[in-house]
Amino acid sequence: MKDYQLAWKNLWRNKRRTLITAASVFFAVFFALVMRSFQLGAYDRLFKNVIESYSGYLQLQHEDYFDDPNLDNTFKIDQTLIDQMKEDPNVNDVVPRLESFALAAAGSHTQGVIVLGIDPDREDKVMKISNKLVKYKLTSGTIGKLKNDSIPDKTKKLLDVFSNEAYYSEARLMMDLGISDEDSATILPIIRRHASISNGYLTENGTSEVVIGDGLSEYLKAGVGDTIVLMGQGYHGTTAAGKYMVKGIIKLPAPDIDNVIVYIPIESARELYAAPGMATSAVISLNSNDDNDILQTGNRLQKIISDPMIIKTWQQLNALMVNQMEADNKSGMIMIAVLYMVIAFGVFGTVLMMLAERKREFGMLVSIGMKKKRLAKVISLEMLFIGFLGVAAGVAGSLPLVFYGNIHPLKFTGEFARMYEDMGFEAVMPTMLPDTFYLWQVVVVLVILVIAIIFSTRKIFRMNVINAMRA
Amino acid sequence: MAVVEINNVFKTYHDTEVEVKAINGVTLSFEKGDFAVIVGPSGSGKTTLLNLVGGLDQPTGGEILIAGHRLSELRSSELIDFRMDHVGFVFQSYNLIPVLTAAENVGFIMNLQKWPKEKRMARTDELLSSVGLADRHKSRPSQLSGGQQQRVAVARALATHPEFILADEPTANLDSKSAESLLDIMEKLNHEEGMTFIFSTHDTRVMKRAHRVITLEDGKVVSDEIRTE
Repeated sequence: MKDYQLAWKNLWRNKRRTLITAASVFFAVFFALVMRSFQLGAYDRLFKNVIESYSGYLQLQHEDYFDDPNLDNTFKIDQTLIDQMKEDPNVNDVVPRLESFALAAAGSHTQGVIVLGIDPDREDKVMKISNKLVKYKLTSGTIGKLKNDSIPDKTKKLLDVFSNEAYYSEARLMMDLGISDEDSATILPIIRRHASISNGYLTENGTSEVVIGDGLSEYLKAGVGDTIVLMGQGYHGTTAAGKYMVKGIIKLPAPDIDNVIVYIPIESARELYAAPGMATSAVISLNSNDDNDILQTGNRLQKIISDPMIIKTWQQLNALMVNQMEADNKSGMIMIAVLYMVIAFGVFGTVLMMLAERKREFGMLVSIGMKKKRLAKVISLEMLFIGFLGVAAGVAGSLPLVFYGNIHPLKFTGEFARMYEDMGFEAVMPTMLPDTFYLWQVVVVLVILVIAIIFSTRKIFRMNVINAMRA
Repeated sequence: MAVVEINNVFKTYHDTEVEVKAINGVTLSFEKGDFAVIVGPSGSGKTTLLNLVGGLDQPTGGEILIAGHRLSELRSSELIDFRMDHVGFVFQSYNLIPVLTAAENVGFIMNLQKWPKEKRMARTDELLSSVGLADRHKSRPSQLSGGQQQRVAVARALATHPEFILADEPTANLDSKSAESLLDIMEKLNHEEGMTFIFSTHDTRVMKRAHRVITLEDGKVVSDEIRTE
């Protein structure tokens, strides 16, 4: 009989205790993985939202612009530099922007806004803006019309829950309103008739048209076809003022941007701010967004450009958010550490009980000729089996939930959702698919087991055979 | 040559300020084929003497030789190997491994010694037959009576052809019938195979069958009676 066979048999001599210990490891691993998956998934979503709808992974800026974001810290961007940067194997495109602040007014409502001058076609390739254009809007008027139409009662009730929501995806609309695939053929045409809005997109440079965020649109009560006025300070202290028609509404997943963003063709922005040919930044579109690739690309580009321009990474551009996430991440890790501490005590309880209960047996085994080293190996294998049983069950149990949560993220509604959005987060919590954090849980359990193994091995090596036999 | 030689052995325990002489200058020898019992009141040093002879404990004075090997010259890991190769143990409370079958318990030491599977199985069959448990190979200790468990323990002790078997109160937990049956088996092994048995006991049934009765009192041999049939 091999040692592992003896260890496996020993494991089941006290089934209940083995199962309770394995179950405690299972619950720790399961909850740690699910919690971590939600936490990391939420961070990932948040970063992606901000990066892919606003900051980009790398930006070219004037060196003073980040600390003092005003139009005096702009630079002239020429095609030669763009072409040079595009020669880098990881650079797909370099898209200039002219960004500033203004006061937006529509009717009696005013709001401080970010005016983002973009090259519409190229920006769309980088940020996929057109995918986020609002297609349906559940205004109170729309909901009234829908309720009078022939749609199921369940959907009618949900209309009130999602009042004033804007959708750029039909799938999301179906999910929120509880419309099944079978019912979609009959219900969606009705919703399209009453709720759809026709969007234009900023494809014609130089026209006086803008696309605004859904949150801003709601605040200003300005829909497609309405006019807004922008007022601010232009380049070198000039006055900037202009009247623009809202050509589209865009719903960005980051609420603190969605509430204040105005997209405008870059030439219009240059005209508004009297800054011809200037840019405040250029978003660098990359082929690979892997953190390491981003860093290396940034370093390579830094060598091409000259003062006063610098390359900023997404971490530098979103430093506050990165710090907030790091602090939040630490608190999550403390919670998991507490969870594992509890489990460690559970495992130690089992080890202590097992050592006390089988003391006489250990004495007998050594007296008939089993080396202490071999006995310690069998006991270590028993503990490893319990640990891996718990870890395997925990990992297996968490996978369906983690995959489901990734495909169907948890969506908050009502006050809770508002609270999230007020803090600048999207009220959606997806899970992160298995990554190195899965490996870490195994490592942590392994560390607990190694400590327990060291403890039991020490006890065995210090065991006095005669005393043990008397136990 | 004597299987076991005990030369002027002392074992002293220091319990706080009191010095207890558990074994006080014992000199004995056991020949091959002995069927000897060590008797004496509780605290007389029977179990201590058995522990010393079995190499489980070291004397504080004197020396013990087993088959010519001086135990005091062996390191603790060598003592474990020595016990496995030369000494068979039968304990009062059977001490079988509860998760193993009777055959696996008997084969356990052979397994530790890495015997080939076929040889191990053949020896296990032979031993279980010799203790009358040929049909209980697959029974777990919990499925066997006390007497049957003790017979498995005897078979286990014999597995690797030890020089002698040390049996500490082997019948203490058995009913009369089981005890007699166990002693029959031990006696038979002693007669037919010349196996040496050294018992420590209070049991008169064991004493009646012994060829030699050694009486200990206060750690000293007070009588060493050899019986002739």
